[in-house]
Amino acid sequence: MIERFIDLWDKFGGELLKASLETLDMMSTALFMALLIGLTLGFVLFLSGSSGIRPSPLLYGILSGLINLIRSVPFILLIIVMIPFNRLLIGTGFGVDASKVPLSIIGIALYARFTEQSLLDVDKSIYETSYTLGASLWQYFRHFLLTEARSGLILSFTTTAISLLSYSTVMGVIGGGGLGYLAMSQGYQNFHYDLMWLIIIGLVVLVQLIQVSGNLLAKRFDRR
Amino acid sequence: MVRLHHVTKSFKLDEKDTVVIDRISLEINESEIFGLVGGTGSGKSTILRLMTGFVEPDEGEIFLMGQKLDHESKYHLVKDTSMIFQGFHLLSNLNVIENVLLPGRLRSIKKAHNLTRARELLSFVGLEAFENARIRTLSGGQKQRVAIARSLMTQPRVIFCDEPTSALDEEMRGEILKLLRDINQTFGTTIVLVSHDIAVIKTLCHRVAVIEDGHIHQIFRLQPREMAPVSYEEAFYLD
Repeated sequence: MIERFIDLWDKFGGELLKASLETLDMMSTALFMALLIGLTLGFVLFLSGSSGIRPSPLLYGILSGLINLIRSVPFILLIIVMIPFNRLLIGTGFGVDASKVPLSIIGIALYARFTEQSLLDVDKSIYETSYTLGASLWQYFRHFLLTEARSGLILSFTTTAISLLSYSTVMGVIGGGGLGYLAMSQGYQNFHYDLMWLIIIGLVVLVQLIQVSGNLLAKRFDRR
Repeated sequence: MVRLHHVTKSFKLDEKDTVVIDRISLEINESEIFGLVGGTGSGKSTILRLMTGFVEPDEGEIFLMGQKLDHESKYHLVKDTSMIFQGFHLLSNLNVIENVLLPGRLRSIKKAHNLTRARELLSFVGLEAFENARIRTLSGGQKQRVAIARSLMTQPRVIFCDEPTSALDEEMRGEILKLLRDINQTFGTTIVLVSHDIAVIKTLCHRVAVIEDGHIHQIFRLQPREMAPVSYEEAFYLD
């Protein structure tokens, strides 16, 4: 067993390392965008929804519709139809950098929806509490909503990260590389099944680690 | 201190505009404990929320601390008031001292000063030993005392209370009412209290308005009674 692993590492170590860095590169950008833009959009959805404190059917309808559209298109097709957009945005439709765009888009859509749901779970009376304590809208968001929803937001982010890891495995379609592409191209298509299984096991372990970390962090911040 | 002049408020209920408050006029004096009593759906909680500015009237004018309460001024005026809720409305992810510190943090008050004041107020409400306790470990009475300490952080001139003792047992109710009276007598804070419980009103208030179907039926002047909370055994034994 150990010998097979050493043999695999001798043959594919360099490619494994490269693929791991590609996956990490794509994931970190997508997760950063999901956190920054997805969280903001989720808050806007929450505010502008029918039970929100600034209801706006038009704004909510547009945002919600856009998020639903992104989530409903099969991801592999989303990658392909976004090629012209990638060219417009970053000058190329292929490669690791181009892969970050559709991955970020789906990450933003996922986390925006999760954020909205986490905020909807917070007791509605929190807004009146914040108002009577003299909080501004920003303070309501920062000191009240985020505080009470933080465990849910952490768990949602964990789920988003795991989803993005899964999505990243198909980025090979536009030359994005990554572990999933290596498992498919070198592992399966070139009959190196050991490599394929090694990557699968590695991804399973990674997902477990992400989930456990997320659960621990959520528990740390949950004092309810 | 608080004045309502011909205030009307409607809400959409079952897609129909329903008048909840109908041309109410009312004046509450400084340092007074004023009660609003009435049955469920009489509009007393709506009146309270109109006074805080959380809900805006359809017609009429509201004056808070001598200034007109409108869409712009309410965010400024509300900072000199506080509110205590039936359901306590504490943040469950913060511990006791963090909840009490919250109003000071919102106003960017210096941390050290904020902490000193928070500890003084926790001592005032008898919870100095519970500073780092989690909210879920507290009894109803303790939670309400934390809420009261939080409400006092900014030295409010008016405290609005929406059924502050409804969720509490007899003994806890007595403690909270005593605390509210102490606040009024110590700090001269005006207190506006909504309750459906006549005993609570009679114990605490200087005056009370009886609300029926969105109107003020009558205003009574009261002589607040001495508080003598009894245990269940004592109550049934005396009967």
